[in-house]
Amino acid sequence: MRLICAGLLAVLVVGRAAPAVDLPGTTALRDKPIANAVVWLEAPLAPATKVEQNVVLDQRNLAFLPRVLAVRVGTTVGFPNNDRVFHDVFSFRDGKKFELGLYPVGTVKHVPFDRPGLSRIFCNIHPAMAAYILAVDTPYFAVSDREGRFTIAEIPAGAYTYHAWRPGGDTLTGSAAVHAGTSLDVKWP
Amino acid sequence: MNAVCARMTLASALLASAPASAQSVTMEVDVSGGVSTENVRAGAVQGRLFGASASDWRFFVEATFGGADGQRSDAFSASYPYDGRLRPMEIYGEKMFRPRNGLLGVRAGRYRTPFGLSLRGDHGYTGFTRAPLIRYGDRFALSTTSMEGGVSVIAGSPRLYAETSFGVPQDEGTLQRRHGLDFTVRVQGYYKSVIAGASHIDTGRDKSLGSFAAGRAAFNGIDGRWSSSGVQLRGEWISGHPFDAVATRGGYLDLIVHRVGMGPVTAVARIERLDYDAFVPAFSLYLHRFTAGARVRLPWCLSGQVNVMHQPTGLAAGRTNVLDAGLSCTVRR
Repeated sequence: MRLICAGLLAVLVVGRAAPAVDLPGTTALRDKPIANAVVWLEAPLAPATKVEQNVVLDQRNLAFLPRVLAVRVGTTVGFPNNDRVFHDVFSFRDGKKFELGLYPVGTVKHVPFDRPGLSRIFCNIHPAMAAYILAVDTPYFAVSDREGRFTIAEIPAGAYTYHAWRPGGDTLTGSAAVHAGTSLDVKWP
Repeated sequence: MNAVCARMTLASALLASAPASAQSVTMEVDVSGGVSTENVRAGAVQGRLFGASASDWRFFVEATFGGADGQRSDAFSASYPYDGRLRPMEIYGEKMFRPRNGLLGVRAGRYRTPFGLSLRGDHGYTGFTRAPLIRYGDRFALSTTSMEGGVSVIAGSPRLYAETSFGVPQDEGTLQRRHGLDFTVRVQGYYKSVIAGASHIDTGRDKSLGSFAAGRAAFNGIDGRWSSSGVQLRGEWISGHPFDAVATRGGYLDLIVHRVGMGPVTAVARIERLDYDAFVPAFSLYLHRFTAGARVRLPWCLSGQVNVMHQPTGLAAGRTNVLDAGLSCTVRR
């Protein structure tokens, strides 16, 4: 009984010490907002929550959708073919290396992303099809939208190291104090 | 007449597919050039516009201009004509439905004849610089640039479906079929790493054949693809008659290797044959060809292709060995 009470007390104390907040922010190249930038917070002690499994990189209308996909390490990504033509998806350069072969419209293949890193995704039949999958070892990440805005949801308040990556750019690193009402503006020079 | 049909098809496809406010529109341009030791130099540009509406009606519009000088040859014929004319290629609108776990799709407009391995990407970007013997226009069989103006419907499930096309021929390139309603049906199955299909076409004969030819063209074909761990085997066998009292049969087997560790290189090899039995034996044609080559993805927008071919008979100037090399740039906005 004492143990249970102590446990409940600990949960309450931790809960009060680190309330979860959302962290909104923006990404910009110089002063121009940019889409498809990934921002994530280092969180080595983050709880091993269940990884979302309904994550897809769609092949639709001769393109990958989305162009940039961020996932937590351990996520299995589906690659459905929603075109009447064949695609031959591969990633050879960095990150997860795979080659999916041919599969027809309406079918899907899956790839687990079990280590952090950037994977460059191409189609061997359609040379202009390209996408990125960034696997990060944290539950706290987001991809910026067309206006360069993002929100990282439900972060325990505290001090963090953040990283930010964009296609064709360097990875930025900095520190962020996260509490209610703060925001994070990331700018590439 | 063909041009009128093409314009009408273009208009109807655009009307059918272009929504008031498209959700996405992509423009793509391919520029390519090549040289062959068969004394051929060629260059081409293709422009494409494709996209989808908010309700996922999709459209695809493509035009090409290609030219070649030197010897008459099938060099660089993989999926476009090279005859110095600006021309429309595929122009269609389409919609896919997924009733329960089934598959239902309709395409209207101008599209490549859906017989066997017929897609642009089947022949144009795989590493081969030439169309298969059995799919080059002036060899009494089929062509990779054969087009239909009509309606194509696919129905079934992703594992097994049938595609049926009703239309009129709107060919580009060396094979120009006579007008009149034609019909193509194809059944495709998918199991594990294997995709297999069977096709039939009943269509008009080549307009250029003259008065000695009569009747319609009809062909049957089987095709298959197997792919695993970056190794792909695929092939077709096609048999039929381009007009009455003659027969054409032939096929090819391709090996395409693109494994982890090969980086930007795709290695290819092909073995193929074509037999055309004319009613005057002197006009019969029996060809076989071996091809080995590679496609390399280069920096920026570039990719290169090199093919070495051995063909004992039928090449220009009595040659038996030929090297083709091409360079392409693909840009998308």
